[in-house]
Amino acid sequence: MPHYTELNIGPVHPSIHGIFNFKLILNEEIIQDVKVTLGFLHRNAEKLSELNLYADNIIFFDRMNYIDAMNMELCYLMSVEKITGIEPPERAQWIRMIMVELNRLAARLVGMGSLGLDLGMLTPFFHAFKEREKIQRIFTEASGGRQEVNYFSIGGVYQDFTEKIINDIRNFIDQFKKNLEDMYNMFIHSEIFWQRNQGIGIIEPELAFDYGVTGPAIRASGIPYDVRKDAPYLFYDKVNFDIPISHQKDNFGRFMIKVEEMRQSIRIIEQSLDKINDGPFFNPQGKKSLMLRIKGNGEAFSRVESDAGEFGVYVKGDNTTKPYRVHARSPGLRNLSLLPVISKGLMIADFIAVVGGLDPVVGEVDR
Amino acid sequence: MYKIVSDEKDKVGMRVITVDKTDLIEAMTDFKNKGYYLTCLNGNDMKDHLEVIYFLHNFDTNDYFAVKTSTNDEHLPSLTKLFKVAEWDEREQYDLMGIIFDGHDDLRRIFLPDEWVGHPLRKDYDLKKVQYVNMDSEGNEHVSFDEKEGS
Repeated sequence: MPHYTELNIGPVHPSIHGIFNFKLILNEEIIQDVKVTLGFLHRNAEKLSELNLYADNIIFFDRMNYIDAMNMELCYLMSVEKITGIEPPERAQWIRMIMVELNRLAARLVGMGSLGLDLGMLTPFFHAFKEREKIQRIFTEASGGRQEVNYFSIGGVYQDFTEKIINDIRNFIDQFKKNLEDMYNMFIHSEIFWQRNQGIGIIEPELAFDYGVTGPAIRASGIPYDVRKDAPYLFYDKVNFDIPISHQKDNFGRFMIKVEEMRQSIRIIEQSLDKINDGPFFNPQGKKSLMLRIKGNGEAFSRVESDAGEFGVYVKGDNTTKPYRVHARSPGLRNLSLLPVISKGLMIADFIAVVGGLDPVVGEVDR
Repeated sequence: MYKIVSDEKDKVGMRVITVDKTDLIEAMTDFKNKGYYLTCLNGNDMKDHLEVIYFLHNFDTNDYFAVKTSTNDEHLPSLTKLFKVAEWDEREQYDLMGIIFDGHDDLRRIFLPDEWVGHPLRKDYDLKKVQYVNMDSEGNEHVSFDEKEGS
């Protein structure tokens, strides 16, 4: 006769980043079922967006996936720019693309570092955060904000790139290439890291489709789906980069995909820095004195490839200065909904590794 | 055979088709057999009726489009039998928008406490009435309009 134990993890637990509550049903040390409780960081950003002006809502999106704020802003603005008819000029698009890719690097560094931390590897965490700090210096130079940047505006960006910012980015990229490989070697040369990650949290492609999983999790299952390639936005169709896939389907595959995508992000940034042109950095229709009077009409749904996967924003306007309805498609919520399925039969310690590998950010899950 | 009421494009250029509530399951089964998967759904409160938009994606042909349907009595058939992603998404729309999905096995609130009164994304939701949440020693959440009970 099996003997079941209920183990409570969270909402505040050092090895679960963010505030989730997991109730594990255990048979001795084997997980039989996981019950997930959400909503500890729920602010209802969708309702808040209905109560505020189009231009003011950017800050709520900053605070969704707070480690990948640029992508969140971009997706909201792509929808808003469609329904207000204010298109950003070419230079603004390049600036956005560089910033988005830099933010992707920063978000992946957090994910990588904290995965190591969960498994008891303290060293890579400090190396990752040291590099992330350099990216945040660049963000501070451009926008004034470190993490919640509030840098993009309707029809462009708030401040232009100066020579100093471009030089800073070039210098950062030059030294980051070597540091990334050093960090990667720290992980990959550790026998324990291999043993802890290989063969756990297996996501079959059919399961991923059914649960709406996207991002590194689906690419580690062998499906080359990336919004940047499949539905190009900004100027992703004008630069060369590859979509890495893995057939390992496990936590280790997801880690390898994340690292390889960082190398591809570096390629995108380098090409963008060469191609960036002179010109206006915002559309005069969206300038600061007109920002409070911007009206939107119609509905638009746009999606971007964020750190966790396909992030989408639906905006509906009714010809007033405030949106009628805003809805965000959260990739982290889908990745998390798969957790009870893939963690069946795992040990408790492996469960922590699976959560670290999926890397859900609670600000975006709860919204 | 289901009937497509209207077929238009949104501002991004994505196809949006409208089907009747009674045809929804049939239409979705057809799209599933054609290789489409549900990626997300969201509800709109149109004051006199509620509408729900389902976003579908085909990974082979890379086609992304939306199916719209509306209801006057807050009830819609659940898609959990067809797509697993609907399980949490329908709970979210039930929680925040108050749409009841018939046939969902586990239709509970997902973000707010179970005792919460009202659905915040409704246009007639009263934001001035503050609700206080407290927790007893067992870990159960209780909601009250009284400030003293909620502290």
